[in-house]
Amino acid sequence: MQPQPNHDESVRQDFVTDLRAFLTDEIYPKITPYYEKNVEPEFIKERNRKPKDKSEVRDLMLKDKSYQSWSLLQRLSQQMMFTAVIDTVERTLDDLIERSKQHNSLGTLELDNEVEIPKYLTAYDIHQQPGGYHTEKIEDDIAPGVVYDISLPIYSRNSMGDENDLLSQAIIGHMQKYIKLPEPERMLDIGCAIGNSTLPFAKIFPNAEIHGIDVASPCLRYAHARANALGVTAHFSQQNAEQTNFENETFDLITSCLLLHETSHDAIPKIINEAYRLLKPGGWMMHLDVYPFHREAIEPLYDFLKDWEIINNNENFSGALRNMNLQQIFEDAGFIKDTIEFTSAEADGQHTKGYTGDFYLKLPIYLAQKPNIP
Amino acid sequence: MNAKIELPRIAKGKKPIYLDDRSIDNLMAMIMTLTQEISVLRDRLDTIEHLLAEKKTISLEDIDTFEPSDDLVKQRKERRQLLLKRVLLPIEKDLEK
Repeated sequence: MQPQPNHDESVRQDFVTDLRAFLTDEIYPKITPYYEKNVEPEFIKERNRKPKDKSEVRDLMLKDKSYQSWSLLQRLSQQMMFTAVIDTVERTLDDLIERSKQHNSLGTLELDNEVEIPKYLTAYDIHQQPGGYHTEKIEDDIAPGVVYDISLPIYSRNSMGDENDLLSQAIIGHMQKYIKLPEPERMLDIGCAIGNSTLPFAKIFPNAEIHGIDVASPCLRYAHARANALGVTAHFSQQNAEQTNFENETFDLITSCLLLHETSHDAIPKIINEAYRLLKPGGWMMHLDVYPFHREAIEPLYDFLKDWEIINNNENFSGALRNMNLQQIFEDAGFIKDTIEFTSAEADGQHTKGYTGDFYLKLPIYLAQKPNIP
Repeated sequence: MNAKIELPRIAKGKKPIYLDDRSIDNLMAMIMTLTQEISVLRDRLDTIEHLLAEKKTISLEDIDTFEPSDDLVKQRKERRQLLLKRVLLPIEKDLEK
């Protein structure tokens, strides 16, 4: 289902991949030594102590032109990625939409134009994807889904695998290793977008009914066509994970990949309560998200750098999510206290240094089980 | 065929200023786009050179369907890294202070 870039589009996209590699591997690692040698000593000279937290580091670094140059370049590389990808999608969109209509025999697609796009997705375009994931410019539009699909390998420097499914492979690996989950009859992936993290579950649970929901209709259309092109049966419907129309206790497993940090303070408890309502007794929820939990100590510079995406890449809620008491929210929803865990799932990523660090190797997941009392 | 569809090109959201003012940030964006276009031209030239080594005349279609070998992909990657190293040298040097 992916469009074929022409010669120049293809090498323009290659340039962005290489620019991101250069910024991540060559420039970013110089920031910490630079800070320790130049920025921190100035602060110590004045105040007789080290900066105590990330906000003090932020005050210093946002005034520092050398750091800000990297930061600007990193932001520009994201914008250049989308420009390079949108060129191809815009040129081929008519043909892509026609093709998507021919890929519909497997599974189902239910769109509902009454579903309101939440403010946290309309106030700004997350990841700086122009128009976000929900904007439709033409009938039967799939453009935002295609843009997402071809930008992922550029963003991750081909870390996501041929079918862009590294993240859910990590969830599956963790589940198979640590959770005694009988083969589900029905599972639900919330905030599924183009279904790249939904489909791997269809492969390991061939007898299960696989559902994916999202609020973004162009992504869902593309998800359904993409699943068909890959020969996978899955059911996609346009629904908000805060309140769905599924019946009580009808899923054995509920998952999400990088959804929670794109929502809001108000939405998080609603999503967790809804997951609880939909799970059968003994069912599990597993959410993969961005923050590593293996660091306890306060490291002001590290904490500051880890917040880069919030301001610079339109991830406005991700910093606030980090400060929320998810343990309490999970407990309040009714999940079994002893099963609630914030841990890391191992993944098979290729790149381990620089800006993304070990993200593609150890992916933070949050899990919990509903009590097994019918 | 519909009239040409125009997809959104600018993301909604805050636009922080990084260097002295917006115009300097804009200059950096312009320089990076020009660098990208130099890289695109260089790769296109490279494609044409490789095609011409095989036959006397080539078509636009030949260029668009050209599949670089693994070796060539690697060479191009190295050349782009060199280009980036040269263009971004002042920034790299500043961080090595």
